[in-house]
Amino acid sequence: MLTFIKIAWRNILRNRARSFITIAAVAAGLCALIFLKGFVDGADHQMVANYTDLFVGHIQVHKAGFQKSMGLDKSINNEETIAAVLRKTPAVAAFTPRIKEFALISSPESSSGILLIGVDPERERTVTTLHKKIRAGSFLSAGDNDKIVIGRQLAENLKVAPGDKVVIMGQAFDGSIAASAYIVAGLVEAGAEDLDKNLALITLRAAQDLFVMENRISEVAVKTHSLDDIDATAQNLRDRFGRKNFEALSWKDISPMTYQWLQFDQVFTSLILFIVLLVVAGGILNTILMGVLERTKEFGIMLALGTKPSQIIRMVAAESFFLGLAGAGLGTLAGAGIVLVCGRTGIDLSALSQALNNFYIGSVIYPLFRPVSIAVYAGIVLFLSIAISVFPAIKASRLSPIEAIRS
Amino acid sequence: MGFICAVNNVNKTYRFKGSDVETRALNDISLSIEEGGFVAIAGPSGSGKTTLLNILGGLDAPTSGSVIVDQTDLAGLNAAEMSEFRLHKIGFIFQAYNLISTLSAYENAEYVSLLQGAPKDRRLFEARQIFKDLGMEAYLKRRPTQLSAGQQQRVAVARAILARPKLILADEPTANLDSRTGSDLIDLMAVMNKTLGLTFIFATHDKMVMEKAHRLILLHDGKITQDIAQ
Ligand SMILES: Nc1ncnc2c1ncn2[C@@H]1O[C@H](COP(=O)(O)OP(=O)(O)O)[C@@H](O)[C@H]1O
Ligand SMILES: [Mg+2]
Repeated sequence: MLTFIKIAWRNILRNRARSFITIAAVAAGLCALIFLKGFVDGADHQMVANYTDLFVGHIQVHKAGFQKSMGLDKSINNEETIAAVLRKTPAVAAFTPRIKEFALISSPESSSGILLIGVDPERERTVTTLHKKIRAGSFLSAGDNDKIVIGRQLAENLKVAPGDKVVIMGQAFDGSIAASAYIVAGLVEAGAEDLDKNLALITLRAAQDLFVMENRISEVAVKTHSLDDIDATAQNLRDRFGRKNFEALSWKDISPMTYQWLQFDQVFTSLILFIVLLVVAGGILNTILMGVLERTKEFGIMLALGTKPSQIIRMVAAESFFLGLAGAGLGTLAGAGIVLVCGRTGIDLSALSQALNNFYIGSVIYPLFRPVSIAVYAGIVLFLSIAISVFPAIKASRLSPIEAIRS
Repeated sequence: MGFICAVNNVNKTYRFKGSDVETRALNDISLSIEEGGFVAIAGPSGSGKTTLLNILGGLDAPTSGSVIVDQTDLAGLNAAEMSEFRLHKIGFIFQAYNLISTLSAYENAEYVSLLQGAPKDRRLFEARQIFKDLGMEAYLKRRPTQLSAGQQQRVAVARAILARPKLILADEPTANLDSRTGSDLIDLMAVMNKTLGLTFIFATHDKMVMEKAHRLILLHDGKITQDIAQ
């Protein structure tokens, strides 16, 4: 056996140029795979992070049934019960109470249906980035109970600017008419049309007063330490709260469309990665096959001398394995290196596309370094390089010695 | 003395693919070779020498007739058994040396005995001995491309002998060598034949080889025309 490994190894050294090309092709292919995977994972990660940070949060806790039909009747009067559990959950980084209700906003010029959110201005900042998206005026501060922040698009429709007065109307918790006037403090531009057209924020206290809710709230928005924690934490909270009282929903439950889009994106990416993999495989097959054809005579001699066909197969496979191992090793190093460096510096695509902002991705993408997926791709490429050699190896082992020697 | 191999009424016809044209390479050949023989099969090009050696060595099968080598009827062997048969019973020496270019002279020489599973120290010891006998001690580590034609053919002889075969088949072993080198090589093989009792069959059209053989079989158009002990 050792002799065949020796011969395989020397065959690699014998045709250095061909071996180098094979190794380089495998390495370049794997490097491209690793980079693409890191890039797409990074983009997806950013999209989820930006999307959830903007407004939705990672997890929302409601009274059971709120997600299906939102309304003040499904409000929570025991916020402290939820807060106590969240404070004891290590994966939870921050959380903030909100009121969420549909209402009507009017200016002297026009009126419009809106999603009115009552927020705790200080705590909201720890969960979402709305306060960073103010384009005119300022965000709410604690005690700004007569102020309102509205979407920039909405302000345009209403023809109002910071300092102007608007009136909010809706139905209060007790069924009475709720109405109150607020001064526009600032305009928010989230970059998402549905928010910029329909969103209005007042303080939690103001909302509770408007809707006559005392200390009731609609939801608690939760931020976890890492996106990877979300699913497990949501499940954990569901288990703790019990399904009857509260619902703990991850952003995937809250925005299934966004989640599906992400999944489609990943399927699409897998397809591209698969095609790259096929190209890499074709390259390996080509060089191994060429190497076998080049040595037809030598295989003929070996077979004539009594070498078993299975030994020839092992020899060709060993050669392919060495090439694959070297290529996969180099490709892994190069790919991981590029992902790590670009993960630090980021890849600025602003010159190419402004549209990325609309997908919550942002124009600078930071590839994600995931050792497990790198190892998986390296493994696949290594396995492929051996699997692919089977065909040329069998071809070599089935040669007729007399004809091969004569050639 | 017993016979190491015997062919009876062997015919070999080649049919070119997709045509009816047939070449009759061997025409009803019957022949026995005694153990320890030093036999030359001579004849002009195309007379069937290579075909006969290939059939004796289990590289090719006759169209009809029987081939018995070391009491084994080759017709009864499947491909794997044939490969095993070649490994243990036959030593091949080719006109074009046919060494494995990636292996050193020593590694080439021990290749077959290594496939046979001979222990390392025995291979090393015997290879050293044979390289010494062949005047090749200085070249153990050279690659085939770093050796002259005569030296390469000596390595091929070493490879065949180290495997301790029953029968060594040498197809025009001197054809690519100058007459002096060729003559020396045949003398070396004659020594091996005498000291080790190995049976050699040469295909050749080299007069010198024919003269040194102990038995000369002449082939013409696939038929034996003369069989002379000398
Ligand atoms: N594979 C083959 N296919 C067809 N004809 C062949 C083949 N091998 C040999 N022959 C023919 O058989 C005859 C004997 O060839 P060969 O045994 O090589 O003769 P020699 O070795 O004496 O020169 C020649 O006519 C040759 O053309
Ligand atoms: Mg011939």
